[in-house]
Amino acid sequence: MNRRPLSLLLGWAMIFGLLAPVLHTVWVSFSPDSFLTPPTGEWSSRWYRAFFDDRRWIAALLRSQVVAVLAAITSVMAAGPIAYAVNAGEFSGRRLLVILVLLPACVPVATLGMGILALFYVTGLWGTIGGLVLVHATLGLPIAFLIIRSHLTPALHECQLAARGLGANSWQIARRIVIPLLRPAFVAASVAVFVLSLNESLVTLFLTTPNTETLPAIIWPQLRYSPTPMVAVASCITAIIGATGVVIVFRTVVASRAE
Amino acid sequence: MTRRTTPFLLSTPALALVAGLVLGPVILLVRMSLFEPATGRGFYTAGTFTTANYAVLLERDSLKLFTFTGVFGLMVATATVLIGYPLALFVRSLTPRCQSLALALVLIPKTAGVLATLFGLQRMLPHGLFAAIAAEVYLILPYAVLVLLVQLRGIDTTLVVAAHGLGASRWQAFRRITLPLSRPGLILAAELGLIWGLSAFLGPLFLGGPDETTLSVEVHRQAFEYGRWPRAAAGAVSLLTLIGGVLGALFLLRRRQR
Repeated sequence: MNRRPLSLLLGWAMIFGLLAPVLHTVWVSFSPDSFLTPPTGEWSSRWYRAFFDDRRWIAALLRSQVVAVLAAITSVMAAGPIAYAVNAGEFSGRRLLVILVLLPACVPVATLGMGILALFYVTGLWGTIGGLVLVHATLGLPIAFLIIRSHLTPALHECQLAARGLGANSWQIARRIVIPLLRPAFVAASVAVFVLSLNESLVTLFLTTPNTETLPAIIWPQLRYSPTPMVAVASCITAIIGATGVVIVFRTVVASRAE
Repeated sequence: MTRRTTPFLLSTPALALVAGLVLGPVILLVRMSLFEPATGRGFYTAGTFTTANYAVLLERDSLKLFTFTGVFGLMVATATVLIGYPLALFVRSLTPRCQSLALALVLIPKTAGVLATLFGLQRMLPHGLFAAIAAEVYLILPYAVLVLLVQLRGIDTTLVVAAHGLGASRWQAFRRITLPLSRPGLILAAELGLIWGLSAFLGPLFLGGPDETTLSVEVHRQAFEYGRWPRAAAGAVSLLTLIGGVLGALFLLRRRQR
């Protein structure tokens, strides 16, 4: 058992290694000068102030949040019913439904990006917020589906049977049993889609136009061609919002289990 | 509303999204890949028909592109499994409380910090093949660890205890019990790594040099640097065919093993 401390050390070192780039970015975001050198002596919040003073960044930040919220709602409203249907029992075509709902995760990003670009170009959705919301909602569909399905337990099924035995109709069962019991799943799924939407790269690299500029849409090109500490700041803010979202998911799920 | 149609009725919203934003675009893409390039304004000449965009894909440079994409995918898959498995074993060995903390930390690069991770890697590593692979592994590893951890949690721990009781060393117990029982998870993680590695886009785009061009990057470049949408579409269709082919082959392989 004397090998235990060594493996513990190695394991945590690996996890730290996974987080190293994020920590490095946080470090750079506090740089006092315009170069991408991490602050060794003096730390400064000047780039954070610059970020919140710049209208373009703020507008993009807000737009990303709006898109992410709408995408999360759309995605969960679509994923909930299909997850329920697929779990309710065996029927022909069930496997096909599962494959279809997981499809957005299997098609390569570049293929999807190019295809949706073509679609938006033809239909005139190019450069609309609604188009962005639809894309993010579709991309979030597989994860929302998997999260909600994992909450559809046998216990839920038994509650439904009991309610039916007591004379409730389908609508009453849905409203009084299924939806309240699945609320934690809906919260977890929508936050997951929200966080994924904030980190989305496909849409931003293939579909952005100036009037739908979201935060990542400004970050990605700058990340590629002319990174500044401002990009680090924007990435950090996205990461903070994302991490908060993840904490909310964990708390909601844990709290509902404890009840 | 009959009973048989209920599941399909409930599935309508999701199916509408998939049909409209996945299947529809793919069909459109196939059509676009057969258009002639634009003359003057626009991105293609509508109403034309040519297979020239696919003929380009058979030229020598393109074959190099396909080879690189394949090799890159294999390297990403290998690296993902080689790093992900020890990591998953480590997370599994922790107390339940530490396990959720470790898992949350492992998931951060993918969930919360894609941008921050890529930015940090750009600062820390010189652009090139190694950096491009590293970036892809950073983005795939969280999922691989999740898959492997689920598999490891399903292994009956008393088996390992029993092996020790029968005099097996730690290494023997691992090799004869844990490793064989984690095989399905390992295979799934490798498949995930291969599929996502073959369609690698962000890693090579942001951290690769000019030599690290995968099919995905080439699609983006044709569309946005040269404005040749039909050629980009042909690239995108062949990428989809490649991924579909690999998925199909893996499916057949699995069926034969049963």
